[in-house]
Amino acid sequence: MSDTIEATERVEPAPAGRPSRSILRRVGEEFLRRREASVLVVAVGLGVYFASAHPAFLTEPNLVNISQATAPAAIIAAGMVLVLVSGEIDLSVGVVAALAPFNMHYLIDYYSVPAIPAILLVLLISAAIGFINGAVTVFLKVPSFVTTLGTLYLITGVVLTTSHAYPVPIPPETEGTIRTWLGAAPWSTLIWCLLIVGFFHVLLTRTPWGLHTIAVGGNLLGATEAGIRAGRIKIGNFMMVSTLGGFAGILEAFRINTIDPNIGGGTQIMFIAVSAAVIGGTALAGGSGTVLGAFLGALVLAELQNGMNLIGISANPYFLILGIAILVSMIANVYLSRLRRAGRV
Amino acid sequence: MAADGSGEALRVEHVAKRFGGVTALADVNLHLAKGEVLGLIGDNGAGKSTLIKILCGFHQPDAGKLSVAGEEVVLRSVDHARSLGIDTVYQDLALVNELTVYHNMFLNRELVRWPLLHNRRMRRLAREHLDDMGVNIPSVDVEVAKLSGGQRQAIAVARSVYTEAKILLLDEPLAAMGAKEGALILDLVRELKAKGDVSVIIIAHNYGQILEVCDRINLLQHGSITFDKPTSETSVQELTDLVVAEYRAARTQKLRPDPSTDARPAPGR
Amino acid sequence: MSKVDPVVEQAVDTLGLNKVTRRRLLGGVGLTSASLAASALLAACTNNDDKKSTAAAAGAGDFPSTPKWKFVFVCHVTTNSFFTPTQYGAQDACSLLNCEFQFTGSKDSIVAEMVNATNTAISAKADGIALAVVDKDAFRAPVDKALDAGIPVVSYNADGARDDKGTNRLAYIGQGLYESGFALGQRAIEAGLDSGEVVGFIATPGALNIQPRIDGASDAIKQSGKSLKFTPVGTNADVPKGLSIIDAYAQGHSNLAGMLAVDAGSTSSVGQVVQKYKMRDKGLKVAGGFDLVPETLNAINGGSLDFTIDQQPYLQGFLPVLYLYLYKLSGGLIFPSETNTGLLFVTKDNVKPYLETKTRFEGSSTEQQVVPRSGAIAHA
Repeated sequence: MSDTIEATERVEPAPAGRPSRSILRRVGEEFLRRREASVLVVAVGLGVYFASAHPAFLTEPNLVNISQATAPAAIIAAGMVLVLVSGEIDLSVGVVAALAPFNMHYLIDYYSVPAIPAILLVLLISAAIGFINGAVTVFLKVPSFVTTLGTLYLITGVVLTTSHAYPVPIPPETEGTIRTWLGAAPWSTLIWCLLIVGFFHVLLTRTPWGLHTIAVGGNLLGATEAGIRAGRIKIGNFMMVSTLGGFAGILEAFRINTIDPNIGGGTQIMFIAVSAAVIGGTALAGGSGTVLGAFLGALVLAELQNGMNLIGISANPYFLILGIAILVSMIANVYLSRLRRAGRV
Repeated sequence: MAADGSGEALRVEHVAKRFGGVTALADVNLHLAKGEVLGLIGDNGAGKSTLIKILCGFHQPDAGKLSVAGEEVVLRSVDHARSLGIDTVYQDLALVNELTVYHNMFLNRELVRWPLLHNRRMRRLAREHLDDMGVNIPSVDVEVAKLSGGQRQAIAVARSVYTEAKILLLDEPLAAMGAKEGALILDLVRELKAKGDVSVIIIAHNYGQILEVCDRINLLQHGSITFDKPTSETSVQELTDLVVAEYRAARTQKLRPDPSTDARPAPGR
Repeated sequence: MSKVDPVVEQAVDTLGLNKVTRRRLLGGVGLTSASLAASALLAACTNNDDKKSTAAAAGAGDFPSTPKWKFVFVCHVTTNSFFTPTQYGAQDACSLLNCEFQFTGSKDSIVAEMVNATNTAISAKADGIALAVVDKDAFRAPVDKALDAGIPVVSYNADGARDDKGTNRLAYIGQGLYESGFALGQRAIEAGLDSGEVVGFIATPGALNIQPRIDGASDAIKQSGKSLKFTPVGTNADVPKGLSIIDAYAQGHSNLAGMLAVDAGSTSSVGQVVQKYKMRDKGLKVAGGFDLVPETLNAINGGSLDFTIDQQPYLQGFLPVLYLYLYKLSGGLIFPSETNTGLLFVTKDNVKPYLETKTRFEGSSTEQQVVPRSGAIAHA
């Protein structure tokens, strides 16, 4: 009837003249809903701060510097997220990264293996180390912290004794294209990093493997009851992170043009990878995580290191300020997460 | 799978189970008709969980035999039992908090458009199935952590049903649940009963609630079924008296050294 | 009238004389004019100094004013106490020359971090870079990049390997590494080593700033022809960990004839261990090492250690700043020169002044002071 028609007309939604605002708000909400939003805000905030503090921050050469500092940690962090989500941790990945270029050197210079097969073989060896980590953790039921602590020292010993702790030059067979593609070219490490981060993000969020990893970390008993082979998932993830460690080690060696027994700093790069994962939103206890967040976390740490160097902070106060900066970044991160969760339905 | 025509889903004959010196089950005889809902009661430590674990293939009995749909079987493993249509919903529900409803529904049975998950299809099917079963979940995209206990329980049950379980074993589904949430589960079980092709055994302590949905009640006492009556012929009072009397008798007699019974205090009612 | 120096004219003007007197003064007539002139000139000189200094107030000393140049030191163990006097030296040079410096790099000898820091310095358009070249391959490209960008680069404390400098840096400021190790070995032999086991401790084996030393020591001992067995042992960049390692070694090898060390941390730990087990009473003939950490000096004074070698880390900070400044000031005309910062043996005879004074030069005090010295200077 005319009454009802009138009524419906009057009830038409109000913001008919401002569609753009509601779309913007919806995009904004969608963005904030993602757990990576908070660490992205921190990364952008730091970028803005350093860009205003020093004109060289956003120049191309410096962006290359930042990308080269982000890449190795982000590559390892991508695998570390899966390990952490499944409820474990790998402390040995840093020294696997140090060992890999040495293995490449032995294979090429002592056993005359051609370059590319040598590199593939090195990645295989790294995966084997990951398998050992996983097998000891799953079958012998040793907590992964302890297992990988053991392999950390074991492999450190292997690196030091076989190399006599001398740095070693890059094998000449790898000069040229191989070296350029695997780290020497300015953006190459970043390209590899983005490819790997993208792959592992999809693996975690859109494949059964990722789903099962989350299940194993979130409810091990339940996952097993549902028939998921938890042991296989864990071992697989350990193998993947070790392989990534080996790859990152090779990239770094090609980038700085030397094979340095210290390349992992023992625990330095592993620690940065775990920190990147945690800053990015992965829970140390397992069950939830994000690979994109870990990449952003590595970016945050690289920005801090690079930005502070640019500003001119010397070594001793550097650590003080790094500590404060990490705390502030993390507090901002947690606070933003809380806001995000509160705003959620 | 030859049927003997009687519509019997499960038969347990003279099943016994010992753990070291402790006799958990002495001589259990139980049957379950197709589409029937059987309530299994008994005091703590009477061996209900053990019986369930034998029925789902987790434990092997020391004596006796099991028949599924009229055919004798030896359940080698949980997977084997599942393949025969026997599924259990444990107290911990086997749900992963971080995952959505539809991912949990399809856990370890995910639909894949290789190599990626076929989320859209799973979402749709999960929605359909839950609607079918009359389970009221507002959205299948929600993480199960955000649901109430009753809703989580419902999803766990729905999952088992969806995987074509013919015999569903529910281990204390009403534990730690308020009246409203418990009602949700009971509604679900009623739905299953109405459909007629799933048989259910429920272990519970809340006699009022299980009398509402069960067709028959079995009491497990002293390692065997000592009471077997249709619900129409019994009452909450009778069941309570039976259980409490048995408990009191066991305390005074101390004939059967059953450390599990002695060790636990009487549950307050 | 001969041309009058404008300075003199200015001086006269300060007297405020009338025109006539002024002309007469400038003409140089009479005693009055002479004395006036003298006093005027004296006054003028003082004024002139002020005028000169106000004109060039930003410049250091007599130098013209220069922008506050920034020099970046890239170090491999930034927080190691050995480099504390180096930082003081750089600081003092910078205050002198109105520059500033940044001390960065890696805490744990991670070459990748040092390369990153160098690249960042280049991006930041630093005015000069001082780099401890602890790897003979990794720094070639960054240093070339810096030089291509017009940034002068010198190396300090470490300069690649013996046979391969590893970079195209303009000069090296530091100690001859192999030579100092060789001298260490020679001195040990002179001090009475003739047979037995000698152990050489090295914090980070392979590191190019100390490995050549132990190579030198090993060669010196080998070339001596005596029946000595030299064993190099790695300790740790972390000094307390190194101490445990040295302690354990000493316990396991009770009849050592000589204990040498080639870095600051290991040397002080050797001193401590020798004292703890009273090894001088048990057949240890010689113990010595490098650098002037306080524990080391005490050990020398107490007799546990025979000698240590002073590398003068203060100069390793001071001189690079000086050279880089002069390079920039002179547009490259003054080129940094290879500088051996010294190879001085500190023994019980001359350890006193090191012990008694706490100075910036040794890193034990931040105070600026003049250290008094009197008497003859020891010589051969």
